[in-house]
Amino acid sequence: MNELATLRYDGAVAYLTLNRPDQRNALSTDMLAAAHRCMDTLEEESSHPTVVVISGEGTSFCAGMDLKQVIIEDAGGIETPRALLTSLAKLTHRIRLMPAVTVARVNGAAIGGGCGLACVCDLAVAHADCIMGFPEVDLALCPAVVAPWLFRKIGAGRARRILLSGGVMNGSEAHELGMVDVLAGSAEELDSAANAVVRSLSSGGPMALRATKQLVNSLDGSLDLDVLLRGAELSAKVLSSDEAQARLKARRK
Amino acid sequence: MITAERKERDGLGVRVVWLDRPEKRNALTPAMLREIVSEAESAEQDGEALLLAGRGRAFCAGFDLAMCQAARDGSIMRLLLSGLSDACRTLRMLDRPVVVAAHGAAIAGGCALLGGGDFVVADRDAVLGYPVVKLGVSPAVSVPFLRQSVTDGHARARALLPKTFTGEAGHRHGLVHACVDRPDEVFQLALDTAFRLAAVPRHAFSTTKQWLNSIEGVARNRFDKAGLDASLSLTGTPEEAERLAALKLGDQPNGATP
Repeated sequence: MNELATLRYDGAVAYLTLNRPDQRNALSTDMLAAAHRCMDTLEEESSHPTVVVISGEGTSFCAGMDLKQVIIEDAGGIETPRALLTSLAKLTHRIRLMPAVTVARVNGAAIGGGCGLACVCDLAVAHADCIMGFPEVDLALCPAVVAPWLFRKIGAGRARRILLSGGVMNGSEAHELGMVDVLAGSAEELDSAANAVVRSLSSGGPMALRATKQLVNSLDGSLDLDVLLRGAELSAKVLSSDEAQARLKARRK
Repeated sequence: MITAERKERDGLGVRVVWLDRPEKRNALTPAMLREIVSEAESAEQDGEALLLAGRGRAFCAGFDLAMCQAARDGSIMRLLLSGLSDACRTLRMLDRPVVVAAHGAAIAGGCALLGGGDFVVADRDAVLGYPVVKLGVSPAVSVPFLRQSVTDGHARARALLPKTFTGEAGHRHGLVHACVDRPDEVFQLALDTAFRLAAVPRHAFSTTKQWLNSIEGVARNRFDKAGLDASLSLTGTPEEAERLAALKLGDQPNGATP
């Protein structure tokens, strides 16, 4: 069976790639489980990359939650969305806490939870035309899991405006807001921009990078798993509301 | 290597504290960092605003790495890191206004000093940043101060990615508060700003500054300790010792941090 998330090494650099291109790498429980297995491998003692690059196969980075999985057809069906959101919450926490420096190579659309994955990485490299943002409220959903990461990335004031007003933006706007750290002018230039960031990080002392990341994590609240799990619960609850389900079902049609 | 002068205007005093080692691009020694602290304390006692500036072509190129290389046990690096943390904290906690004139370049430890200022002036093309992980050194010591000025996202990116950035980018992100076109315009704007802040009613200024510090957690006893400890944890390790020893200071202007 095709792995839904793959791992490849190039020396001290590991490449974790979401691999559901036909579904724009939308977050399903299976793909999240595959990503968690990649994290297991990365956390093994024998594997100690200095840099991990997270990317999406195909033309999207990650289109957000797989909406097919979160439409509740029968009573009590909240368990799947709850499991999905909890898995996403734990994955973001694992990415943030891993000793290696993480780089999101935002190769295309990064929406909702997918944009959250980009924000949780230590650095985000994107191109000017990729679509990013948090349109959750437009779908009557609550971006509770990703909110803490966006707060930490761009500051509370800007995060509040973006999460409450929904919508999406392009890579240039995301760069101006601080969601993207390094901007490539076009999709064609993304690889050289991402490679330059990887080379620059790889020139750093591994211990120095690790100590610095650990310190930043300890100062900005990144260690707090509880807030993410509460976010997952809140998000699942909103998702199961009539308002959200009606909106999701209308969208499917 | 630190010199100071009092400037007066309309009965107000500004103490200009000069990093005065232009032949080494004002590379910082432990003694210089101690002198910054004592000058700051004197300025506070005398009711002066403080303006930190650099002689020569650049504000400050960072730690004196030749000194660090000579002490292979990491002892000088430890003194520099502790001294830097003390200097930044003293400036941040000072009751009087602190302005930094960062012309030309403020790199590594030099850029960390910007985090102690209430107001930072730089030129658009000034070279700023903390590109020290290449040397096996962690800029963690700067992070508690840096994150008072910029978002945590920028602080994270700046600390981890060993790249410099321009004064203009620093201005966009909040580390620099005013940006001028040319390096030789920095000092005058910084001095005018120091006099303007010196004219703010003293009690209101110090109460407001300490309240802001308190909101940001700066007033907590040794809020900077975690960052300092993280940087100290690497001193004397093989990674740091080998990378520092391998650095050819001839490649770097005047032996300063690249």
